[in-house]
Amino acid sequence: MRTVQPAIMIGSYGWDEDRLPRDEFQLRTAELHRLMDANGWQAMLIHGDAREHRALAYYTNFVPRLRWAMALVPRTGEPRLLVSMSARDVPWMKLMTFIADVRTGWDWAGGFESWLATLPPDGPARIGTLGFDEIAATLHGAVERSLGNRFTLHDAQKLLPTERPLRPREISLMSDAAAMVQEAAGAMAAAWRGGAGAEAASLAGERAARAMAAQDVRTLVSLDGGRSLVPFQANFSARPDPFVGYLAVKQAGFWAELFVTAATRPGALHERALAGLAAAHAAFAPGVEGGAVFAASCAALGTTALHPVLGQSVGRRVGLSLDEGGALTRDSRHKIALGSVYALHVGAVEAGGGALASAMVAVGPRGVRVLCRSDDV
Amino acid sequence: MNEATRLTQTAAYLEAHGLDGLVAFNDGQNSFLASNAVFVLAGVRALGESAVVIDRAGGATMIVTPAWDRERAAATARTERTVGTDDLAAALAADLAARGLTGRRLATVSLGTLGLALARRLGAVLGAAEPHDNFTRDLARVRTPAELAAARKAAWIAERGYERMLGLARPGMREFELAAELYCHMKELGAEDNFLLVSASQHNLAVRAAGRRVLDDGDIILSEITPCYRGQYAQICRTTVIGVPAPALADKYPLLQQAMRHGQAAAVPGATIGDVARAIDGCLAAAGYGAFCKPPFMRVRGHGLGITSDRPGDVTTDSDVRLEAGMVFVMHPNQYLPETGYLMCGEPVVITPAGAEALTEHMATLDAVGG
Repeated sequence: MRTVQPAIMIGSYGWDEDRLPRDEFQLRTAELHRLMDANGWQAMLIHGDAREHRALAYYTNFVPRLRWAMALVPRTGEPRLLVSMSARDVPWMKLMTFIADVRTGWDWAGGFESWLATLPPDGPARIGTLGFDEIAATLHGAVERSLGNRFTLHDAQKLLPTERPLRPREISLMSDAAAMVQEAAGAMAAAWRGGAGAEAASLAGERAARAMAAQDVRTLVSLDGGRSLVPFQANFSARPDPFVGYLAVKQAGFWAELFVTAATRPGALHERALAGLAAAHAAFAPGVEGGAVFAASCAALGTTALHPVLGQSVGRRVGLSLDEGGALTRDSRHKIALGSVYALHVGAVEAGGGALASAMVAVGPRGVRVLCRSDDV
Repeated sequence: MNEATRLTQTAAYLEAHGLDGLVAFNDGQNSFLASNAVFVLAGVRALGESAVVIDRAGGATMIVTPAWDRERAAATARTERTVGTDDLAAALAADLAARGLTGRRLATVSLGTLGLALARRLGAVLGAAEPHDNFTRDLARVRTPAELAAARKAAWIAERGYERMLGLARPGMREFELAAELYCHMKELGAEDNFLLVSASQHNLAVRAAGRRVLDDGDIILSEITPCYRGQYAQICRTTVIGVPAPALADKYPLLQQAMRHGQAAAVPGATIGDVARAIDGCLAAAGYGAFCKPPFMRVRGHGLGITSDRPGDVTTDSDVRLEAGMVFVMHPNQYLPETGYLMCGEPVVITPAGAEALTEHMATLDAVGG
């Protein structure tokens, strides 16, 4: 879900080496080396910014709290990480990554160009890139100016599998994130049931997640009984019934999210949303196409429209990004893949209001496991 | 002057420069240090990438992503038309065509901040448009009365946040717990965003975002509290000791307060930002710390505040930006001193004929909380 990007992510960031040990990053770096060898690249540049950093986080564990960062990974030798922070911030940036050579990105000559000069002049003149779709055009211009005519850039994203299976330890971390979002969503619903207005309830959920050391927390809330969702407005007087809110948390780099609907008495729209979610869940199995899951959900909704906030989708893969692709849309040919975690969400809307229900599920060799769901909140 | 006049001012700018239209972009990221061109012109902080199109007659369209956010945006947008889309480039092409601006002479603002793939698609739509990247930050360099009132409210929220910290901080608490509570408390008071740094050590080298460190007796907590209210960030910088401040700390902190007063006095309309930085540095140099008035012992003596305009920019000795009445920025003589470590002292200020007026009720003092 798209939410307002904060000026800085204030949560607790670090590298938990117990859960993501160095050997995990050796495996990931080896993937890059294979890619470089297969394509004749002498190095790779991996960019991420505060908003979208899945490739950077995957290969370095580093998440930019603000601005951007770029990993410079040669085929031979040690990687370097440039961070768009001042030099005095570098010691703290080092706590988030296994990369030892972390430098400020504000000193382009000392950071990027000095690294470029270490590449053997007789090596291949090709460099692969990841995350460059999102790189700011101005920063990309600086990279190209430094490369000059000596090197050419090549997009590596299209050469990687679109659906990388998560390793068990990654799914374990996502389970933790799902447990956190479940508990925080519970606090949100409990606050509303206790008499809080919609925004106060949403804030109660955020507070609960932050107190559990969430790295990031995002919320949306409805002020009109579920018909539309909005970011924080500081409108604490509104207490619509039903309450509809959205909460996403990030833990150890992984996202988890839930839509929550709560009401003083059962409502037809909420029932339909729950039925749509149950239908999505029932249809959900490895190898099933996304379009089939979408069709099952919509059939359960009957003539009620799918909630517009979902963007004509009833789910997608979630991981280091809230959108890892695989959107479950009407025409989706995406096949549910083993080793993936999906967010499922179904919402119904009418002129007078709306309701949303959601769950997160992990697809493993022993079946589809529910990590969290809004009807448990 | 008010925010709505910015559209007509933009039309006049286009006329003066022989341009047919202007397209301003925002990348959906919210920097407390940068001007959000879309917010300046349309008054809306979009969730995703967004644009505002203005033609020479003053007609304007706001285009927001994602499509489902249109209703919220339209409710507050100052533009005559609001479009919600999941394809910014296609929506822009359609609006330019509807306004007869396809292939005409266009100016852009902040196109280069967008992601490369999108920027290239937009570039294809815009043709040979000319970047006028400083236009909106210059246009909004002086706060309107409503913006100044919002900045004052943001400063008020920051002070309440700090008061909360004084009541909460205690040994055994983790930094992230303290930051979480401050963040949520200020949100309760209306802060829609917050650039919040809170960290502590016994001899700090700089301030940073909160981590898992456990607060201890004798810690010096540094806080840079920067809530945003209705698009106006206001920043306060504070230093707080857990327990009784060491004599060196009590002795040295007034130096920063004095430097702040020198900076405020120097910051009159017509003075340069460099004059202000030199006034602050001069105060520290007179006390024998001239060698520390450079990185890594400090970074800048203040800076502009988004998201309308980051003017007057960083407060550094080499800046020749001239101050104007109504400019708002944060002035902070934050400084590492060998006897104490890094200390923080700073206020959001507005430029007046008498100097820089703090937007806060209480200037920074060295505070202590129970150990």
